[in-house]
Formats: sequence, C-alpha cells, structure tokens
Amino acid sequence: MSETKADLSPRRRFLAGLLGGRKGRRISVASPTSIISIELMDKVGVHFPEAHLDARQMAELAAGGYEVLGFDTIMPQFSVQQEAAALGCEVDWGNPRMMPDAKTHPVKSISDVVIPENILEKPSLKVVLEAISILRREYGHRVAILGKVMGPWTICYHMVGVQNFLLMTSTEPETVKRLLDMYKEVTVAFANAQLQAGADAVVLPDHATGDLVSPQAYQDFLVPVHREMLGRIGGPTILHICGNCADRLHIFAEEAYDGYHFEWSVDTREAVKVVNGRISLVGNINNAQCLLRGTPEDVYQQARYAIEAGVDILAPECAVPLQTPIDNLKAIVTAAEDGY
Amino acid sequence: MIDVNAVHKALQDLDIAVIDTLVNDYLAQGIPAETILNEGLIGAMSITGRQFKAKEVWVPDVLLAARNMHSGVAILKPILLEVQSSSRGVIVIGTVQGDIHDIGKNIVAVLMEGSGFEVIDLGVNVSTDGFLEAIEKHQPDVLGLSALLTTTMLEMKDVIASIRSNSRDKVPKLIVGGAPVTREFADEIGADGYGEDAIAGVEVTLQLLGK
Repeated sequence: MSETKADLSPRRRFLAGLLGGRKGRRISVASPTSIISIELMDKVGVHFPEAHLDARQMAELAAGGYEVLGFDTIMPQFSVQQEAAALGCEVDWGNPRMMPDAKTHPVKSISDVVIPENILEKPSLKVVLEAISILRREYGHRVAILGKVMGPWTICYHMVGVQNFLLMTSTEPETVKRLLDMYKEVTVAFANAQLQAGADAVVLPDHATGDLVSPQAYQDFLVPVHREMLGRIGGPTILHICGNCADRLHIFAEEAYDGYHFEWSVDTREAVKVVNGRISLVGNINNAQCLLRGTPEDVYQQARYAIEAGVDILAPECAVPLQTPIDNLKAIVTAAEDGY
Repeated sequence: MIDVNAVHKALQDLDIAVIDTLVNDYLAQGIPAETILNEGLIGAMSITGRQFKAKEVWVPDVLLAARNMHSGVAILKPILLEVQSSSRGVIVIGTVQGDIHDIGKNIVAVLMEGSGFEVIDLGVNVSTDGFLEAIEKHQPDVLGLSALLTTTMLEMKDVIASIRSNSRDKVPKLIVGGAPVTREFADEIGADGYGEDAIAGVEVTLQLLGK
C-alpha cells in the first residue's frame, strides 16, 4: 500500500468540492469570476479587449488561469457585458486596464425589450460558446471548464441602468417582475448552450446584493424566477452575489443552487455554520486589501483561514482587480497545496 | 411648524406630488424656505440616512427619498437664491476613470445640493485631466471623488497626486468615497476627508469648510 493516496485531477477535485463529494488530499481552487490581471495578460501574450471578442484568444487567456496560476478551473467569460451587448447595449470593450462597460441602457419601458430569436448567434455570446468548445477539447480531460451567465437581475442593471432599475423596484414592482421573467429566458438559453458546448458547471451572477437591496426584495423578486431557472438549467450552478449577503445566506442555502460564491465581508466561519452543508461555499479571499495590496503571505494566511473554517472551494471573492500581482494569486494555490 | 416626520413620510411616498404639496403648504404658512430646507428636507433625509445605516431601509428607498427631495428642493431653490447672497460653497464631484457607477455619487450630489452647496457633477469615467480642468474652471471649495470598483479605486490616488502637484493656486479640499474605499485608504492616498456613506460625506464636507 502506498503511503499517500493518489491526488484527484483538478477537474475531479473541483467537481467533488462543488457537489459535496469525496475529499482528496487538498481543497480545490477555482475562478468563478475573472482572475485575469495585466501581469497574466502579458505572460500569456493575449490582452483585453481582444480576449473578450475572439474565441481563440479568449480561450488562451482563460487557460492561463490553469497553466500559469495553477487553478483547477478555466473560466473564459471575463466581462459581465456579453449578454448586454447581445441584447442591444452599446458596450465599450475597454482595454488591458479597464473592464468592458455598457455605455447605453436602452430599456425605458417593457415595450423597449427586444430579445433576438437568434441571440446565441450574436458575436458576444457566440465567442464564449466557441471558447468553451476549444477549452473542452484541449483541457476537458483534466481541468474543469466553467461557464458564466448573467442572471435576469444583473441583465436588468445593464439594460435599464442600475439606478433606474433599483428605483423601479419601489415604484413599479410589476414591471420589474415582467422584465425578470423576460430576461430569464436569455439566462437559461445561454447557460444550457454553455453546458452543451462543454462547460462542467455555470456561474450565475445575479446581484441582488446586501449592499443594495433587502433580503425581502431578493426573496420576492428573484427566488421564484431562480427556482424556475434552476429547474431548467441542466448542469451544476454556482450563484454569485457579491457584497455582504450574510443576511440572506440562509435563503440561498434553502434554494437548489449547487454552490454560492461569496465575499470576504461575510465571515467564513459564520457562513459555514449558516449553510451547514446544504450548498457548497466558494470563496472568499479579499480583493482590495489582500489580493491587490497585500503580500503573498497575507493571501496565504487568509486562504488558510478559509480552509480551516471549512469553505468547500477556494477562490478570490470576485473578479480580481486588473493590477493584482500574479504572486498573490499563486499564493492561494500554495495555501491549498498544504492540504486540509 | 415643520413636522419632520411628515416630511420623512413624504420622502418615502411613491407619489412625488406629496412632497411638493407639503413644501408648498409650509411656504403658504409663512415658514422661511431655509427652515423648510434645513429642518424639513435635510432633517428628514438624515432620518433616512440613519435608517439606511441601521439596515432598516435599502438603496431603492434612499433613491426614492433622493428623487422626492430633489423635487422639494426645486420648489425652494428660486426663493433661497433671492434671500441668500451666495451658496455655502462650490463642489465638483465625479466618478473616476474606468468606473461608470454613479448611484452613490448621485445621492451625494443631491444631498450636497440640498444642503445648500452649488454642485457641479462631472458624471462618470472622468479622467484626471477632466478633474484638473474642472478645478481651474470652477475654483471649487471641495472636490469629491467616487469609485465603486476595487479595480478603479486606485485611480483616486493618481487624481489626488496630480491635483496636489499641478494646481497653481487654491487646492480644493479633496474628499473620497465609494463601497471599497476605507478611511485607511483615504489617508494613504492623501485625501482630506472620507465619507463612509452619503450623509457622512455631507457631514465631513461641512466640517472641512468649518460650517
């Protein structure tokens, strides 16, 4: 009998962590949101904005997360604007120092909503599907491929404008419900297309965050819509809501998400206690103070805290700042390699 | 007599006409516009601010209150301008380059205006040059910088450094705010003031200007 048992492959390690399965020698490290930094772009030789618009370059840069940083997942949708662009927002695709942003918010009322029949053929969505196919072919035997699709709440932020949409939740709740109902179709279609293209799981960012709206608003507006979506999305799904969501964690845990990707402002021990194994917790290394401005040792300490607290999968709390040093990202993997 | 609770209730009303009627009623009773502004609208907004801090209300409620307050201030403004020789001060405000988030900044602008300042809102994604030009043109007493993203908050550091090294004459008081911004960060980048939320932003501004 060998002294150490065989390690799981990155893909098995990630899927086991997400689905509550066997534990290998160490915790999985994943990238539910972008882990791309300027330094990583330079190292891979592919930069923004090309990596948002060209499937081959998107796949190559995403693969850097595994090849250069040693993460267990490859996630090619770096921006949060792919759906918005397909739905009619004018998007500035940014540059290596700036993530894409929607310049226009064309929906003023329900009658402005246009969902193209061939939406999956729109360049900003097609590029993601093609990148996933490439990654599945080249890395699928070993690394987990993660898809990502904006939920209807986040799509509304882009289409209506955050401020107008939030005000509308007070002034026109029925309109909000109709908008969510319409845009959820885009989320479901894109999620399933990503799974078909070869994603092992999809991340579902839908920012009904504790920094903006009440737990009641999440419960009233989004829970019914998400329930329907989770019944129709055919693969593992990780909810991503950044901001402090400690007040609604218990609601997430009741719903049928496989995982919840959370941030540092929610204490890891407290989160583990509240969730109590009902969904997997993915997180929650702090971006601003730790990954961006801390040292590898700071990152290591935070990651060890998260492991010891009982998080299921390690990850940065949200899309990392573009100036994040590579050594800090690698320190997350170093902490994981030291085992449970 | 101003009933601040009635004003507070009107700020929460979906019907914008409620606050307008109340403000007009107070004016008809002969209450000075400045009293209606300070004790009524600003007093009521402070209640909303405290409720927000205590997580009793949320951003949609604050946005609704800000929308209604804006409407009330619009009624008072022409009267205030007649009796006041000048504003409390000039504030230039904007979200830094690379960031298009403006809810927090917009709420700060409404409250600053409501508190009697002349506010020049440069909007979002404002470059360092944009801020420098605005300082030269408007000679503000205060410059407010906003950022929501951890990716863009570093931009504030560059803007502040440029202003401090480029301004030939009066440097305005520099205040910063936004979700990822902390007091330590504000001190580190050389800001004069930091507001952890919009109400605190107005308070720190009044302190900095000795009002």
